[in-house]
Amino acid sequence: MYGETANKLVQNAKRTLALPHLPPYQSELIRSVIREVRDLDKDVASLLAPYSGSFNPASSPETACALLVNHLCMRRNKRCLLAYHKVRSDKLEEYCWNGVDVLEQQAQKANGNSAGEGGAAGAESSLSPEEEEYVRQYSDLLAAYKGQWTDIDLTGSLEPPKDLFIDVRVLKDAGEIQTEYGSITLTKNSQFYVRHGDVERLIQQGYLQRLS
Amino acid sequence: MDIDDLLAEVAVDSTPQESRDLQELTRAWVAERTAPEILNWPEELMERVLERIRRQIELVEDQTGNMDPKTNFKLIVIQTELERFKFLVRSFLRARLKKIDEHPLHIRAQHTASLDTMQSLLSPSELQYLTSHQALLSQHYSTSFLSQFPASLQRLDDTTGGISMVDKPDEDKAVFVRALRDIGTVFIEGTDRRLEVKRGDVWVVRWSAVRKWAVGSGTGDVELI
Repeated sequence: MYGETANKLVQNAKRTLALPHLPPYQSELIRSVIREVRDLDKDVASLLAPYSGSFNPASSPETACALLVNHLCMRRNKRCLLAYHKVRSDKLEEYCWNGVDVLEQQAQKANGNSAGEGGAAGAESSLSPEEEEYVRQYSDLLAAYKGQWTDIDLTGSLEPPKDLFIDVRVLKDAGEIQTEYGSITLTKNSQFYVRHGDVERLIQQGYLQRLS
Repeated sequence: MDIDDLLAEVAVDSTPQESRDLQELTRAWVAERTAPEILNWPEELMERVLERIRRQIELVEDQTGNMDPKTNFKLIVIQTELERFKFLVRSFLRARLKKIDEHPLHIRAQHTASLDTMQSLLSPSELQYLTSHQALLSQHYSTSFLSQFPASLQRLDDTTGGISMVDKPDEDKAVFVRALRDIGTVFIEGTDRRLEVKRGDVWVVRWSAVRKWAVGSGTGDVELI
């Protein structure tokens, strides 16, 4: 039926909203929606062909109705596709803002899978090639915009700061960091009382845990 | 003019520019976070604030390493203050970016319209972000599927068929406002409600009804809370 595949996409997008990760790109569904639109367009063209440009809806209401239905279906499919891609790109942007490197994660996942399956070429990224390109360009754009606000650190925490210094516990070895009060070596399971601004990045990346 | 007005004027003149900037920034920040629409870019205020942040960072960098307990304590106070300022600016910018990302085409049209007036809606870098982000998105759509569509359906800002593709924020959203000065009678469009707004009053009203007095988008006679 018209619009059914597009509906599946929308449902998929709705599910994506609640998921912490990005589900695989539905290229098969998308191709079939595009096919449907092209078929509908051909249908419209063939319906209009006998009238050679001078179609009067009032004189043949049945054709007008078919045209309208076809047209609305095409528009609906377009909207569904846009919505699906928008949800996914929003999610990718969110990852960029949070400093998660999606591309690297995908690469790791692909490697992990292929190692598990004995090097089988079945490992697929859940991003389409277009989306990977989009992530790359968006991170460039974000970096460029952020570069104008170096003093502020735009991707920093959106929680109002309460204390200048905080207690942190080291979850993973992070090596040595330089602060205004000298250098600290962050070894696993040790605990420090440090300036929030100095370690904010490391907390976001999961090296440190904040102790309240 | 009564005694309150006189007192208010004296109070404004005697507070230093720095404190007034902080108050203005806080106001702009709260307004930006509660108003449904994006507000005008407070260019002068931001320049002053950023300049001051830069100076304070320099000062902190200069003074660290100084082991005198008195300066050390002063530094901690300055740094705490600095972190708070940075948070305000960061949150303010992010709130604006969020709106820009939500309604890019609408905001671009508004910005173009605002170029004729004295106050522009977006800062140059925000405009640049909007334009490049929009270019990226439309390219992403078009390589993903739009390029395979019939030519008449490839546009992203189509308004035919009764539905505009350009999404707008809800201008009738209710906001909490506090009047900083008397503004007289406010009419709510489309209803026969009218309200008398006096200084210090707090009202819940439609954004569209108080927009022209609000901080950031109008005369600044009411602040959003």
